[in-house]
Amino acid sequence: DYLDNGNNKMAIQQADKLLKKHKDLHCAKVLKAIGLQRTGKQDEAYALAQEVAALEPTDDNSLQALTILYREMHRPELVTKLYEAAVKKVPNSEEYHSHLFMAYARVGEYKKMQQAGMALYKIVPKNPYYFWSVMSLIMQSISAQDENLSKTMFLPLAERMVEKMVKEDKIEAEAEVELYYMILERLEKYKEALDVVRGKLGEKLTSELQSRENKCMAMYKKLCRWPECNALSRRLLLKNSDDWQFYITYFDSMFQLIDESWTPPPEEEHSLEGEVHYSIEQAVKFIEERITEESKSSRPLRGPYLAKLELIRRLRYRGCNDEYKLGDPEELMFQYFKKFGDKPCCFTDLKVFVDLLPSSQYTKFISQLLEVIPLSAPAESEIALPADIKALQQHLCVVQLSRLLGIYHTMDKKQKLTVVRELMLRYHHGLEFGKSCLKTELQFSDYYCLLAVHLLLDLWLEGEETAVWQCLTVLEEGLSHSPSNAQFKLLLIRIYCRLGAFEPVAELYSSLDAKHIQHDTIGYLLTRYAESLGHYAAASQSCNFALRFFHSNQKDTSEYIIQAYKYGAFEKIPEFIAFRNRLNSSLHFAQVRTERMLLDLLLEANISTSLEESIKSMSLSPEDDDIPWKDLRDNRDLTVLFSWDPKDRDISEEHRKLSLEEETMWLRIRSLTLRLVSGLPTLSHAIQPKNSEKTAENGVSSKIDTIRSLLQQLEAAVDSGKKFLEQKIQYPVLGPPPTRMAGFFSNGSCQCQTSLFYLVSDIYELDTNGLEDSAEIQERIGNSLKSLVERLTDLFNKCKGDLIEVRDGTLKTHPNLLENLVFFVETISIALWVSSYCDSVLRPFKSNLQKKKKKKKESSVAMPPVFTHFMDYVTELQTLTSNVIDHIKGLEIILTALKLEEVSLKDTLLLQ
Amino acid sequence: ATALMLCVFTVMGKAEGSVAREEWHGHVTALSVAPEFRRLGLAAKLMELLEEISEKKGGFFVDLFVRVSNQVAVNMYKQLGYSVYRTVLEYYSASNGEPDEDAYDMRKALSRDTEKKSIIPLPHPVRPEDIE
Repeated sequence: DYLDNGNNKMAIQQADKLLKKHKDLHCAKVLKAIGLQRTGKQDEAYALAQEVAALEPTDDNSLQALTILYREMHRPELVTKLYEAAVKKVPNSEEYHSHLFMAYARVGEYKKMQQAGMALYKIVPKNPYYFWSVMSLIMQSISAQDENLSKTMFLPLAERMVEKMVKEDKIEAEAEVELYYMILERLEKYKEALDVVRGKLGEKLTSELQSRENKCMAMYKKLCRWPECNALSRRLLLKNSDDWQFYITYFDSMFQLIDESWTPPPEEEHSLEGEVHYSIEQAVKFIEERITEESKSSRPLRGPYLAKLELIRRLRYRGCNDEYKLGDPEELMFQYFKKFGDKPCCFTDLKVFVDLLPSSQYTKFISQLLEVIPLSAPAESEIALPADIKALQQHLCVVQLSRLLGIYHTMDKKQKLTVVRELMLRYHHGLEFGKSCLKTELQFSDYYCLLAVHLLLDLWLEGEETAVWQCLTVLEEGLSHSPSNAQFKLLLIRIYCRLGAFEPVAELYSSLDAKHIQHDTIGYLLTRYAESLGHYAAASQSCNFALRFFHSNQKDTSEYIIQAYKYGAFEKIPEFIAFRNRLNSSLHFAQVRTERMLLDLLLEANISTSLEESIKSMSLSPEDDDIPWKDLRDNRDLTVLFSWDPKDRDISEEHRKLSLEEETMWLRIRSLTLRLVSGLPTLSHAIQPKNSEKTAENGVSSKIDTIRSLLQQLEAAVDSGKKFLEQKIQYPVLGPPPTRMAGFFSNGSCQCQTSLFYLVSDIYELDTNGLEDSAEIQERIGNSLKSLVERLTDLFNKCKGDLIEVRDGTLKTHPNLLENLVFFVETISIALWVSSYCDSVLRPFKSNLQKKKKKKKESSVAMPPVFTHFMDYVTELQTLTSNVIDHIKGLEIILTALKLEEVSLKDTLLLQ
Repeated sequence: ATALMLCVFTVMGKAEGSVAREEWHGHVTALSVAPEFRRLGLAAKLMELLEEISEKKGGFFVDLFVRVSNQVAVNMYKQLGYSVYRTVLEYYSASNGEPDEDAYDMRKALSRDTEKKSIIPLPHPVRPEDIE
């Protein structure tokens, strides 16, 4: 009870009391251990738990309590040991065996699961246990590296196991049939799979809609049985003419049949699934019939009309024009608009087919649409406004289409501004219709506002500085009327970040309430900018959000898998595993892992703890690379921001590919930097125990080899990064943000950082060679110290300037100054870490020299030049850092002044 | 054209309850339609499908929980033949300091429940801990 209430101390006391009375009460010991674990005494808890576990308890309470404890310790493998011992002692316990099975499931011991499942079935011949064992065979086949082994051993064995049950007529549940299908599909025995689904066993498939039909269709496709594909789609479309996927298979299979010059067998059924359409004439007739049928339906269906356009599109692609009298696409789209223009989806429906319009007809097409919208012009207004929501929706559709057709893009500045004014007027007018909307609902006219902002963004990118500020005011206004509109927030986030103003972003992002997988898909919006704009706390937090999600994914997935076993949802298990793998190889995951550690070092190392301790606590080592470079998956949602842009301006596959390439290069540079930094403390002799000199020597020399090889890799990564940037890729403004790589190269921090690591290598050489006979190395070190100071000063100069510049009455921000400053701070931190390494090498040399001096009592022992160089370097670094601190203070003063101005502005507004 | 309708809606449902007590039923866990694809009758279609599956599985009724404030949804469910079976007090916990919100437990009887016993409204509201 005390444990449940979170009162761990009391729980420990109570357990102690009990233990005094009954010395060997296992359960009390475990409960005490849980208390200890929860009060942070992990080691004691572990020791106590092991004490009990060693006795191999078989009472339910102890076992369950230990299971809870081990789970909290993140040691699920210990649970398996526990129950292995328990079933040995109580070999007939169904309960313990099933716990053992689940314990294996949690750690992914598939082979043992298979055995445990069979053991269970022998004790209690229940079907689920048998099929747990079968499923575990499939899991072994999935996880097997060797595909041959999986196809020749695991899967056939699984198949035989199921066949045995089929022969004995013991198949009971739907899940068992699903499993059978799954095995056959993986064995590529599509014919057999088809027979199962179509046969008696297939009747059990009821939980999912059209489960049988969908599975049949999948098999027909695999077997290239186009007549069946076609006939089945046809039949399903007759039942529901709004199911788009079946139009696609219907058309695909029909054209396949035409290309094969297929003809139906004489005097026989066309196919297993009935009548087949194998000519364009038949398809045209079929679609026209669907449209006629639709007109009789109570609810308008979009499917048949869109299918007609789709057929035209496919015929055009094959070089046919209007031989089949399907009609003019422009007219058909116009009719579609008349029928469905008041639905919000009308735009997306038509978007797919605008390629069918000749560009010369765009303007005509748009005005034709506008004409049929019932708009009325009130006397005082110069534009005609919609009288109800339906008319507004229709009008919005036309505006979206206009943007898609590029009509706004060809306008000049003045025309664009006129359109912005009109859209904003319509936006404000449209708010009337949404007065009763809850604050969780969107306003009907929100898209007007968004489209106006897109136009303003166009103007901004063409060089109109004021437009971006208008974007912000318009969006902030929109958000005040429609506080749940995620698009407003996303666009504000993007614009603020582009301007370099991160402060409002954190709050906007948190109001998006991103959950679960969204940390992976849209987390980049935040992590790309938080650190680079100097918001370290926010950066750290945003990485934490993501990392918490990624880490819990590992555990959660095991739980889902166990649930799936319990409920027999076998077909979901491979999906869960694929999902987990996809998250583990996520690009964003690798990025936040790396950046988070760099950030922690930056914020803590040699401030609150030593660099060495920090690196140790992160269990970092230069040899380890935990990033799955080959399998990196880009899970970012790059189209999360709406765009109505024409294809040639919109984000393309090419952009996605390039962006992933760029992100991967940048990640490589960052991860190498991190590993190089983590290698620094390993070089110091100070940490090596003195008595094991020989081995220590070997250890360190291999460390420097690691560092030198990493440095080479870094050089290579930088080279390919530079080559990549030569392409001068411009992503669309709403698409993927560029990485920080360009800034890193152009402001010189890249050069500084690499030469710092070269310096490390030189210093190491000096360390091993000693001061005598090392004039050359000393000179090299001297030179690099000198040039480092120059480079750092250069870098600092690139941080100077006004963050906000007022020119000719317009404001322009310079976020690159902030980015440079952040890079500078990072670089100087690395410089300081490297300096302490230098110091640790030079100091013993110096004291040795001084000792010698004292002994010989003569002043002729000259100080080697390296000491003076280093002293000079340190002094200059000190000057530089104090200059930087002054600079940052200066920035703070400017910001405070700005805030004061804001306050006084508010006051004036209030007075007015 | 193919991907247009993917991911625009989800309906998660499951079967729960005991058969002997005539509690075996289909449950709507969540139902949502993307704003862009509203006003097309998709929600009604999805509900119809879940009812169809629940019929096949031999359920007595279909039930769902909905925020009392969500009038749009409550009205929609009523149109689809659902009625308020009981009110569950403070079922939805609020996040930002606002009070917890009540839920309606709405039900629709399936053909197996011939006397429509499962949907006779309860006279008093219940607490979340009292529902199984």
